[in-house]
Amino acid sequence: MFILVFNSINFVAFVLPILLLYWFFFKKSKAAQNVLLLASSIFFYAWADWRFLFLLIASIVINYYLALKIRKEVNDEPKQRRFLYIGLIFNVGLLLYFKYFNFFYESFVELVNVFGVTSSYTTLSILLPLGISFFTFQTLGYLIDVYNEEIDPSDNFLEFSLFVAYFPKILSGPIERASKMMPQIQEKREFRYTLFVDGLRQILWGLFAKIVIAENCASIANPIFDNYENQPESILLLGAFFYAIQLYADFSGYSNMAIGISKLFGIQLMRNFATPFFSTNISDFWRKWHISLTTWMMDYVFTPLSFSLRRYHKSGLIFAIIMTFILVGFWHGANWTFIFYGLLHGIYFIPLVYSGKINSSEIVAKGNFFPSFVELVKMLLLFLLIMLTDIFFRADNIEEATYYIALIFSNEILTIPNEIFNSNYLLAIFLIFIFFFIEWSNREKKHDFEISNFNIFIRWGLYIFLFLLILFFGKSSETFIYFQF
Amino acid sequence: METLTIKETISDVLESILEHNNFEMHDELTAKDVDGWDSLSHMIIITKIEEAFNIKFKLRDLNKLKNMGSLVSVIQNKI
Repeated sequence: MFILVFNSINFVAFVLPILLLYWFFFKKSKAAQNVLLLASSIFFYAWADWRFLFLLIASIVINYYLALKIRKEVNDEPKQRRFLYIGLIFNVGLLLYFKYFNFFYESFVELVNVFGVTSSYTTLSILLPLGISFFTFQTLGYLIDVYNEEIDPSDNFLEFSLFVAYFPKILSGPIERASKMMPQIQEKREFRYTLFVDGLRQILWGLFAKIVIAENCASIANPIFDNYENQPESILLLGAFFYAIQLYADFSGYSNMAIGISKLFGIQLMRNFATPFFSTNISDFWRKWHISLTTWMMDYVFTPLSFSLRRYHKSGLIFAIIMTFILVGFWHGANWTFIFYGLLHGIYFIPLVYSGKINSSEIVAKGNFFPSFVELVKMLLLFLLIMLTDIFFRADNIEEATYYIALIFSNEILTIPNEIFNSNYLLAIFLIFIFFFIEWSNREKKHDFEISNFNIFIRWGLYIFLFLLILFFGKSSETFIYFQF
Repeated sequence: METLTIKETISDVLESILEHNNFEMHDELTAKDVDGWDSLSHMIIITKIEEAFNIKFKLRDLNKLKNMGSLVSVIQNKI
């Protein structure tokens, strides 16, 4: 596989000519712009793995026609529902086959073995098509929206194809909604200097998050996790700390780059992270973490589920929340660790449901620079909880994760490990501090590095500062954690 | 039932669940305008409204609710 990762010279070589063509030679009509973007997207996807291109095209064609069919039968609800079900079965079926087949097969055989029947099995070697979890969710949402008459189906195959295959977001999201993205594709895009510059800014920030923060954290967390049984126990907590930061910086960095790149083409994708660690409770955190997935789950899983369970009041609500989060976890991959990760997060909501605090979502310390002491303690405790839960996200299996956590809570928990004074640890902590300091200062803005209102010296000072940090402390990397999902 | 009575009943439901009445009832009022009325409290509110009017919503009705005006007209069609 040759993915054109955003933080590579190859990607720059890919995107620069397209940008020039786009704004100089293809600017005459929306159709020309869309043709160029679609051709680039197909090239981008095929470059990574041409075999799955047929799957992507099949998904586009089938969803395109099903949506039109659903609309055509607007006076015949049973027929409409039939087309919707065909679409649901097709899209979910794709995911189940490519992503979950072996998992269910293995789990089934293990279950059979429990009942005394011994059978051996061979799993199929199924390759996971790139971006499948992202684009199938997007087409699923599209069909459901058309069925619910929230949006009109697209009758322009070119535009719909671009909506699904658009290269800045095809590999790892954001999971876009037709209601937000289609109107932008349906109009000719005019060059807007401020949007273009804002895109560049966001790319710089994403690049910094990815190759400075995430990669430096990874270089510490990986050796600890890979060999956790032979580590001094006091270091395991640090390993979990650096992994939690890595996971966040990796995916939010990717998202910011994707959104920034798209802005260069005049298309605004949805925000995917809104400084999630500056939250005072778990519900607040999930409102700000991987927003395009959580809002998707909210609309298409949680709402129907809690609606059908509404007779059971709070217990129905809790059940719906837990089921939704189990799905959120399972969406990440065919592994019990992800299911458990989701289950735990669902359980963390229970106190909120009973205290009625579930709805409170405010920017922490709005209007002030410093949080109050209580806010600070709440944020730190929440971070600690998320950090420990992330161990399930990182581990290969549940036993490994529980063992890791058990080792953390051994009698060495209060020992300060010597490694913390190693230069690479101190450097990473220093860089993380800068990262969160800038995020904190911009937490009320539209994105983490929206600094257009700063004066020119501070702005350029910050650009050069980040650029130098990237130059000196950046580590090259060819992959992102979320590519595997 | 008159729209005014329907609105009054909805207003009572909201007040009992959200524990405040910092909202003004008008047709353009949306959940976003009302503190605490989000996707989580939404279901509890919907259930209480169903009980208050002795009606049953469909999921599709729910998706069509855009503001107070549409909620009132959906209720009117059901009673």
